[in-house]
Amino acid sequence: MSRLLGDSRRARAFRHNISGYDKQLNFAVGALLLIGTLLVWAATRQWFASQGLDPEYYVKRHVLNILIGLLLAYGTTLVDYRLLRAYTPFVWGIGVLGLVAVLIPGIGSTINGARSWISFPGGFTLQPAELAKISVIIGMAMLLAEARDKDSAPSNLDVVKALAVALVPMLLIILEPDLGEALIISAAVIAIIGVSGAPSRWVIGLLLLGMLTGVVAVKAGVIHEYQVKRLQSFVDPSADPQQSGYQLRQSRITIGSGGIIGRGLFNGPQTNGRFVPEQQTDFIFTVAGEELGFLGSGFILLLFGLFFIRAFAIAGRTTDVFGRLVCIGVIAWFAFQAFENIGMTMGLMPMTGVPLPFMSYGGSSMFANLIGLGLLQSVHLRSR
Amino acid sequence: MSAHQISSKRIRQLVTCAAAVFLLFGLRLIDVQAVQAGGYTARANSELLNSSILLAPRGTITDINGVQLARSVAAINIVVDQVQIADPLKSATLAAPYLSMKVSELLPLLTGTKRYQIIAKQVQPEVWNTLNAALLAYNTSIIKTPGGLAKRMLGFYSERSYVRDYPTGTLAASLIGEINASGVGAGGIESSLDSTLAGVNGRYLFANGAGTIIPGSQEILTQARAGTGVQLTIDRDIQWVAQDAISAAVKKAHALSGTVVVMDPKTGAILAQASAPTFDPKKPIKDIAVLRNPAVTDAYEPGSVGKIITYSAAMEEGKITPQSVLTIPYELKVGGTVFHDHESHPTQQLTATGALAVSSNTGAIKVGEMISSDTLYSYLHKFGIGQVTGSHLPGETQGILHPVSAWSATSAPTIAFGQGYSLTALQATSVFATIANDGVRVTPNVVAGYFDPSGNFTPSKPAQTNRVISASTAQQMRLMMESVVGPNGTAAEAAIPGYRVAGKTGTAMRANGTGGYSGYTASFIGFAPADVPRYVVSVVVQAPQGQHFGGLVAAPVFKKVMSFVLQTKHIAPTAPSKISYPLTEAALKATNASH
Repeated sequence: MSRLLGDSRRARAFRHNISGYDKQLNFAVGALLLIGTLLVWAATRQWFASQGLDPEYYVKRHVLNILIGLLLAYGTTLVDYRLLRAYTPFVWGIGVLGLVAVLIPGIGSTINGARSWISFPGGFTLQPAELAKISVIIGMAMLLAEARDKDSAPSNLDVVKALAVALVPMLLIILEPDLGEALIISAAVIAIIGVSGAPSRWVIGLLLLGMLTGVVAVKAGVIHEYQVKRLQSFVDPSADPQQSGYQLRQSRITIGSGGIIGRGLFNGPQTNGRFVPEQQTDFIFTVAGEELGFLGSGFILLLFGLFFIRAFAIAGRTTDVFGRLVCIGVIAWFAFQAFENIGMTMGLMPMTGVPLPFMSYGGSSMFANLIGLGLLQSVHLRSR
Repeated sequence: MSAHQISSKRIRQLVTCAAAVFLLFGLRLIDVQAVQAGGYTARANSELLNSSILLAPRGTITDINGVQLARSVAAINIVVDQVQIADPLKSATLAAPYLSMKVSELLPLLTGTKRYQIIAKQVQPEVWNTLNAALLAYNTSIIKTPGGLAKRMLGFYSERSYVRDYPTGTLAASLIGEINASGVGAGGIESSLDSTLAGVNGRYLFANGAGTIIPGSQEILTQARAGTGVQLTIDRDIQWVAQDAISAAVKKAHALSGTVVVMDPKTGAILAQASAPTFDPKKPIKDIAVLRNPAVTDAYEPGSVGKIITYSAAMEEGKITPQSVLTIPYELKVGGTVFHDHESHPTQQLTATGALAVSSNTGAIKVGEMISSDTLYSYLHKFGIGQVTGSHLPGETQGILHPVSAWSATSAPTIAFGQGYSLTALQATSVFATIANDGVRVTPNVVAGYFDPSGNFTPSKPAQTNRVISASTAQQMRLMMESVVGPNGTAAEAAIPGYRVAGKTGTAMRANGTGGYSGYTASFIGFAPADVPRYVVSVVVQAPQGQHFGGLVAAPVFKKVMSFVLQTKHIAPTAPSKISYPLTEAALKATNASH
């Protein structure tokens, strides 16, 4: 390909990139993407076929999303992440602009009670919160790594500035409201501040503040009724048996009915019956549970395990503070999102609508995930 | 500690946290998918796979030649799951024209939280097909718009159903009956043989999601077993003639009702059982009373027809012969009550045959006095009076026959000429069939046999038989009854040229249900050919206005129906009788003198 292009410089860069990637990280993501594609297909084909629609409608779009996402990831690795620092205010501004746009009626569209999407002609939608996560991570990492060597801790002022950078997008996301995304950003914020070397009181204080905010929000009724219901359903699934309680119960039943070896791909009666709503997106793990059984869903957990081991390794090895903080932000984001998503389907976490990284159907989330992968690989490439 | 060291320490802490969570998840996965898996699988199957009824088609009712009288025709019920209908008004607006409904009628059926609501019952499959096509077309186009998935119209389902169809309409309506709104027999054969006809509904499991039954997810738990078909002994053509004749007669006489029963005396098979007025089983019934089958539910006092039992009993007991001479006064005082004949006449010397031919009441009383009340009762009982016939026709009544211990001084003479007890048209027909069948009573029946769902035919068990009188008594009674149809008898109108016909008229006072009498029951029951009887036809007309004699009101109907039966069954005429009993003492002496 490179010879055809006749551009040897770019070709060298390409080869350099490919050979320099963390292969185990790529393997984990590749396997998750592949399994995710099969699961999205399994979750939707029967449903669409029964409506007389194209059974491959979802899987085709999913594959397209992955291809676009891979291009974005590759593009991200080409950019020296250190140069990103210069563009940080711009990246952050774009993220905030998207979040503001989504709140304007006529631009943002409401799905499942949250105004989180911007619709484009042709049925494509964009979820600005997904991309805003990246701008928060980069923005905070820049402020906390700015103008100091790796052995000096960030000052209180740096931490306050970094928090301010995170707070604006978070408030906008809470207005949508998208509790799940807000929680993910909180996790990333705390992890970045912690790993930046900031005093422990900040870390402990922020954890306490987070909990307190949650309690106050529920008590004061700031959180929407459907969100409270979801939380109640976690404690007592009969609290909202029609909606979220039903979803949680069905989710567990679906995973449980898969047993050790599963019902076989495409053969899950629960999946084919679509007893669990949002099965191709937030509840994709139930499809794995039912159709691939313990072996399949356990394998998915192992792949995530491998992903995090490699990601932590990259974060630990780099001597560049900015790179390390970006990695930690991305890890915290993926870890909390995977933790929240899988935990929710197994009844270990309350229900919030977050997709499973690399697996769930959804363009914005897939793009953001793969850009996140690109950031990790970019740091890896430049830390040797 | 340097910032870098703190940073690395915090990373290690994060890794520890992540590892702990990972371990927790692994354990939970084992818990859900291995430890508790069985329970979850069972719950998945029991709660989420719905089961539904596979309707079994009801058995067909045919006549003796296989002509369908009642059948089940496939139809569709259209049902909705209200929970799946996002925009009831929009769905109602789209669907209403296909269902021939107003939007305002359909809208409330689509609104709510019911998971199962029938919106159209028993429609042609075509109605569902066009509605479904319209929904699909709408969904296919809406899905191309932004957020189109959520705007689709879901929740409409079809469900197989059956409609009961009665191809012959009013023809045998009171015999066949109909089914009610819930599909259960509500009269006639439909009711009495409901458990046979109904079949057994099956059940199937299906995974139901996203608006329709998942194709391939159906699993039949129990197959629906189609109902057993019933072949009746009814012959549609004879039924038609009988129905036509009785309807015309009831109309002409402005009578309350009328019935015709055609029976094969050898087998007890009922070939026709018509009643008027009738009803159309396809239309809603306004007056439930019309559903009755008067031939078996209405008991009446037989009048002169009942004299047959009195004469048969006396003859079987050796008290009379057809030629016994009886002194017949116009009036006779028994038990303090004066009984008289229907027409004034001087005291006559008649043979038993003559007394029966003119239907003398005093003659019947005198014959009845020759045997004890207990004997008379025992013959009534043996002929089936006061008991249900065992025909299994629904709503059958046994009539009223009081035990001898309850009889008054006038009971025996009253009963002797056919009043003071009651019977149904079917019981009366059975009495004559017994005489026609050489004294052996065969339980009347209307079911020839059963077709199982695969078409195998099982004939009904042969009807129960029991001897009531001897063959010779029966034969002599038949010869006597031929004279009733003779030129000097009461039913010359029943004679069929070329055939020997025997029978008996009845013109009874009609009990009005309040202990008194008002109006008459006019009847004629007879059989042909009289020497080797093949068919019995009974005609009973209740409360005719104007002309009320059985010989005039009922006999012509008999003639019409019996003529058709003999013709359609290709019964050859038989030679005229060599024996002909004289009717009077004078004629008897003349005959004896000539020998």
